[in-house]
Amino acid sequence: MRLIILMLGAFLLSACYEDTDVTMHKAGVYKGKEDSHALSAEERAEVLKQRFNSVQTDR
Amino acid sequence: MARMKFLCDAERCIECNACVTACKNEHEVPWGINRRRVVTIDDGIPGEKSISVACMHCSDAPCQAVCPVDCFYTTDDGVVLHDKDICIGCGYCFYACPFGAPQYPQEGAFGARGKMDKCTFCAGGPEEDNSAAEVEKYGRNRLAEGKLPLCAEMCSTKALIAGDGDIVADLFRSRVVRRGGRPDNWGWATAYKD
Repeated sequence: MRLIILMLGAFLLSACYEDTDVTMHKAGVYKGKEDSHALSAEERAEVLKQRFNSVQTDR
Repeated sequence: MARMKFLCDAERCIECNACVTACKNEHEVPWGINRRRVVTIDDGIPGEKSISVACMHCSDAPCQAVCPVDCFYTTDDGVVLHDKDICIGCGYCFYACPFGAPQYPQEGAFGARGKMDKCTFCAGGPEEDNSAAEVEKYGRNRLAEGKLPLCAEMCSTKALIAGDGDIVADLFRSRVVRRGGRPDNWGWATAYKD
C-alpha cells in the first residue's frame, strides 16, 4: 500500500515539472520549420515567367 | 531573382468577386475567412473604383516585424508565409498589417480566436509541397506546380495581376501608356518600399 502511495505521489509530482527554456524573441528571425522546394529559386522564376506570359498578359 | 507581387488595376476591376470565390474554392477556406476581398471606393457614386485586396507580401512585412513568436518568413520568391504550428493567434499581425490581410478562424465551443490565416500567394506553407498537411493548413501550393495564384489567373478582365514584380510593372506600364492618365498601382507604395 505504501509503495502504491509513493508511486502515485511520484507520478503526480512529475506533473509539476516546468520547462524553464525561454524562447527569446528576435525580430525577423524565423523559428518555424524549413520550407523546402523541389526546384531552385532561379528555375522556379523561369517556370513562373513562362506561366505569366501564357496566362496573364493582355490579349 | 523573381520578386512576386500582386497588382490590382482599378481601371479594369468590375467588382465581380470572382477572385474571392476562386480563392475560397481553391484553398477550401473555411466560413468566416476571406483571404481576398473586393473593396469598392465611392460605391454607387459615378467614378467608383473597385480593388481586390489580399496580403500584398510586403518587402518589409510589418506582420513579420511584430510577430512575438517569429512564425513569419519570406521565401526566395518574395512571398511572405507563416508556420501555423508556431502561431499563437495573438492578433498582433492584424493590427500591423496595412491591408487587413490576417484572418482568424473561430475555434472551440466559445469561438476563441484560432491560428492566423492569410493569402499564401498560392505557395502553401513550410510543410512538404502539396502534402495533405500543407493542403489542410494552408491550401494548395500552385507555385510548386509552376502555376501562379488562381485569383489572378482567372480574372476575366485581367485587373488582378500576379507574378514577378518587374514583369507585372512592365505590363501595367504599357497599359497606362496605351490608355493615358496617371498610373494608379494601388498599395505598391505601402507594400513595396524597395
